[in-house]
Amino acid sequence: MIELIDNSLQITVLMVCAALSVYLAVRHGSRTWTLLSFFYGSWLLGDVYWLSCLIFYDRTPQISLVSDLSWYAAFIFLYMILRQVSPPEKLKRPGPAVWIGPLFAAAMAVYFMQWGQILNNIIYAGIMGLLFYSVTCRISAEGTEREKLLLPYVILIICMLEYALWTASCIWSGETLMNPYYWCDFLITLSFPFLLAASGKARKA
Amino acid sequence: MNYIENIYICLAAPLLIAVLSLRRDSRRSLVFVLAGMTSCLCSAYISSYLAGVTGTDAANASHEISPAVEEIMKALPVMFYLLVFEPEKKKTISGVMMVSVGFATFENVCFLTSYGTSDLLRLFIRGFGTGAMHVVCGMAVAAGMFFLWERVWLRTVGVFALLCFVINFHAVFNIFVNQSGAVFWIGSAIPLTMVLAYLVFLRGRVDLA
Repeated sequence: MIELIDNSLQITVLMVCAALSVYLAVRHGSRTWTLLSFFYGSWLLGDVYWLSCLIFYDRTPQISLVSDLSWYAAFIFLYMILRQVSPPEKLKRPGPAVWIGPLFAAAMAVYFMQWGQILNNIIYAGIMGLLFYSVTCRISAEGTEREKLLLPYVILIICMLEYALWTASCIWSGETLMNPYYWCDFLITLSFPFLLAASGKARKA
Repeated sequence: MNYIENIYICLAAPLLIAVLSLRRDSRRSLVFVLAGMTSCLCSAYISSYLAGVTGTDAANASHEISPAVEEIMKALPVMFYLLVFEPEKKKTISGVMMVSVGFATFENVCFLTSYGTSDLLRLFIRGFGTGAMHVVCGMAVAAGMFFLWERVWLRTVGVFALLCFVINFHAVFNIFVNQSGAVFWIGSAIPLTMVLAYLVFLRGRVDLA
């Protein structure tokens, strides 16, 4: 029951955010809003697919590749938004600290391989490593405008929450509110409107 | 009994003759329609093979295997066109749409001929829903390309992400239309509503084809 509530809440928030970003994309003809619409749309479809399998077939998908594909796409769109808002050509040479993120993603992939599929974990590690790298490049770069800094921070929070969620799903099971998996998922849901606001601010800057 | 090869030959033969006698834009459009039909035929073979290998039954294969296979197969002719001919943006985008139309037409013909005529209304709605779904997937890829065209890295990464996006949309649609009652109607109505929304609100602003 709690999974159903969690998914339904996330789907509702995503639908509102997706509708808003589509409206803004059409109104302004902006690439940032278009990419954000695709981000929300991808995540939304992944959730809807997962929830549909739970409702109509009373089980999680037999081959989880389909919903994973949409979450891969969502993270790729996040990376594209970052590159769109602050292109890498304009960033100063990053320090060695930017490699912490990709190393963390690789280490976590090895850890998750105990439970999940190898290829799936490698793909996630690649995408998340790239995202962490881009985020830390923008956070650590000197002279980045304050308005543009909010977006990488929000993306970093979403990525960290996602990792917390995956870790929780490996350690804890059971459909109760005491399961940290649901706390992380609720926090991710809460972060979606902030992403919309941060993208708007970064676009204006 | 449904012999898809026979249906393919019936549909493709006149198109092929027309392709040989037409010129430029009309010829290109028909080639894309034909490529869409061929992709659909190949998808049927590959999906059946993968379902057999993974031991997935037909109901589950329709939302776990077919969407990925079909969307990738639909993208292949356009990828070939992009890589070999390096065309203009507008030509590629209309190509994406025409492949989707060809795919949807062939799939609909095969599906409707194998389904019988016991429930004509359901068949009618399913036919329009499936057709619209393939066009919506094509429109999503085309819209993405339209916005992401300027930079090569955006186009490359974007096409993969867009493919993932449409695969999931296709899978959700297949789950919905495989149910009965209201869920079936809602599932069929979603792509039709999206096409209508595009025609009413977006056509003037985003010219996809």
